[in-house]
Amino acid sequence: MNFTADFQSPMKITSTDFGPASGLSSSIMEKLMILTDAAKYDVACTSSGVDRQGDGTGIGNAKSCGICHSFAADGRCISLLKILFTNECIFNCSYCQNNCNHDIPRATFTPEEICTLTIQFYRRNYIEGLFLSSGIIGSPTYTMELIYETIYKLRTFYRFQGYIHVKAIPGADPLLIEKTGFLADRMSINLELPTSSALKKLAPCKSRHTILTPMRQIQKGITENKNELISLGMSNGIVKSSMNISKGTIPRFVPAGQSTQMIIGATPENDFQIMSVAEGLYQKFGLKRVFYSAFVNVTQDSNLPALPQGPPLLREHRLYQADWLLRYYHFTVDELLSEDKPNFNIYLDPKCDWALRHLEYFPVEISTADYKTLLRVPGIGAKSAKRIVKARRGSRLDFPDLKKIGVVLKRALYFITCSGRMMYPTKIDEDYICRSLLSDSSQIPKEIREQEYRQLSLFDDVSFSS
Amino acid sequence: MYVFQCEDSLDGILTGVYDAWASHYGHKNIQLSSDKSGEIMLFNQYITVIPDFEKSRKVSRTLIRRLGIPFYETICKCAMADGNCKKLSMDKANAIYQAIVMALALPEGARVLEYLAQPCISCIFQLCRQTDNEAHYMIEFIRFAELESGILFSMIHPKNNVLPVVAEHFTNRFPLENFLIYDATHKIAGIHKVQKDYIITDASELNIELTKQYSMDEQEYRRLWKAFFDTIAIEARINPKLQSQNIPKRYWKDTVELA
Repeated sequence: MNFTADFQSPMKITSTDFGPASGLSSSIMEKLMILTDAAKYDVACTSSGVDRQGDGTGIGNAKSCGICHSFAADGRCISLLKILFTNECIFNCSYCQNNCNHDIPRATFTPEEICTLTIQFYRRNYIEGLFLSSGIIGSPTYTMELIYETIYKLRTFYRFQGYIHVKAIPGADPLLIEKTGFLADRMSINLELPTSSALKKLAPCKSRHTILTPMRQIQKGITENKNELISLGMSNGIVKSSMNISKGTIPRFVPAGQSTQMIIGATPENDFQIMSVAEGLYQKFGLKRVFYSAFVNVTQDSNLPALPQGPPLLREHRLYQADWLLRYYHFTVDELLSEDKPNFNIYLDPKCDWALRHLEYFPVEISTADYKTLLRVPGIGAKSAKRIVKARRGSRLDFPDLKKIGVVLKRALYFITCSGRMMYPTKIDEDYICRSLLSDSSQIPKEIREQEYRQLSLFDDVSFSS
Repeated sequence: MYVFQCEDSLDGILTGVYDAWASHYGHKNIQLSSDKSGEIMLFNQYITVIPDFEKSRKVSRTLIRRLGIPFYETICKCAMADGNCKKLSMDKANAIYQAIVMALALPEGARVLEYLAQPCISCIFQLCRQTDNEAHYMIEFIRFAELESGILFSMIHPKNNVLPVVAEHFTNRFPLENFLIYDATHKIAGIHKVQKDYIITDASELNIELTKQYSMDEQEYRRLWKAFFDTIAIEARINPKLQSQNIPKRYWKDTVELA
């Protein structure tokens, strides 16, 4: 990374052409680039999970569906101003470019600078809010204090009512984490690696204990806060949040829930282990989201795989698909994977793969199957299933009707009947369906289509890790 | 067949509904059309509908009273949609008329919206989705520039008439800002004054030159934003196809970072 070219370019902002009143120091461009670059490997950029109307005294509101504002050259959504407070760090996690043994340009924002950037970007509709994380400067508690100070200023002085996602720093004073939780919409603590042995090896300053302790604290905080609001009759679970710092009412604690992230492919865990950890986090820690980050080797550390074929993006994609099946489609990890079949099929999405192994449930009759059964049909998502349930009340649905209401039949047609008939004469046979599905090259992941030189047999349980 | 030709606007179409109803030609013999370029058929009789706010308001009131606000909102969103989509099986105004006729004939009328297998309902469903989708795109991708006067200005080119939805969103979001959103496709503007509600007004006379006089800080924030935008992408994952799938190319010209 070469920043020097940018520093000397006319892009540099001096205090003369940028009055001190605006709160930006001369090196703001430099800092922004360093601290954006340092933050970019964190995946979460979602702004979802909380509905909040503006109260008319400041700026901002929040929509529970979340709003993306742009898409970067890598195709990932940009919703929040995702930056680090500082990329100084006393830790030496070997996968992280900010680790203390690394010789890179370092920078630290002031709370004022972050507030100004957030507000000015927000009012131009560049962003939906702030995602503030940080390297560990001084101590975990000191770092957490700086984060707290920043968002306190943003919420109270600037009366910012948009979305704020902050990291809870493992090992920080629990009181600070609690105070921060009353100002943030979402908090997250990265699990980083799926097993504690991997963590010990690659992130010796972190431990399962320091990560899970604040995660548990936030989970408890969310539950207690919800109960308190319900007992006051202010809530039935889905509360419209308001920014009520000065109004003397009960504030909401992390209303958009907490999330975490695991790095995929830096250590040898299989998909079954990773998904089991994710399932545990959803069930035992009440997490809203688990993110998976395909490992990019930025440090060239000898403990880490080299990945000459690039980051394991297809594997990451399959994990996200399976994650959706857990959260919205009532699947369990045991249905998708097992000790004997610990990795996802690279050719077929996890639902299709499951369906082919459970043809005894198919075909499903569109006019009678209940919502949960429809959800299990490959190619039918939650939206389509809901539409089918509604539309069939009014009249009998046939295949053209399904198309009209937006159901994609490419995959579904092998698994459904309308009034007892299939769309084409097809066989309920694993080999047959699989061959038909894969004969349409658009159904095969790009990564595999492009590996034509390799002979692959369809049902090999190919592992993603090379 | 009697064809009522209405203006392509909510008032135009609802006036058409009123006139068609009042004509007593019988619903089976009536069609509405909002498509000016439509072919003239030999045995049809064509009636031109002149938009009338009073008639349109009467229809609105009836719809809200008999079928509820969600039904009425659906009709509005459908009317806001661009009806020139080739895939559409039916004229927009006609779909609205047929759906209203069907709904008012049933005891639980608003539920006709669930009968997606009906041609007029599937058409309404498709048009609403079109409006909702583009309104959401606009809320995501619209960019404001700060002018010398401190006003936030934005220019958009939506296919569907989504400005009311967009202006409403930003009125709640920026209560203390003066802003103006100019819809260059429909030549209308949404104007918001500090702590007031927004208004939609004709803007065919808007002086575009005045909207290019940026405040002192504007260029700096644009540069900072572009720098952020370029830096946040991960080199090892560059994927232009995914990018243009997520932010369709036709919206690029009105952004700062991709223009």
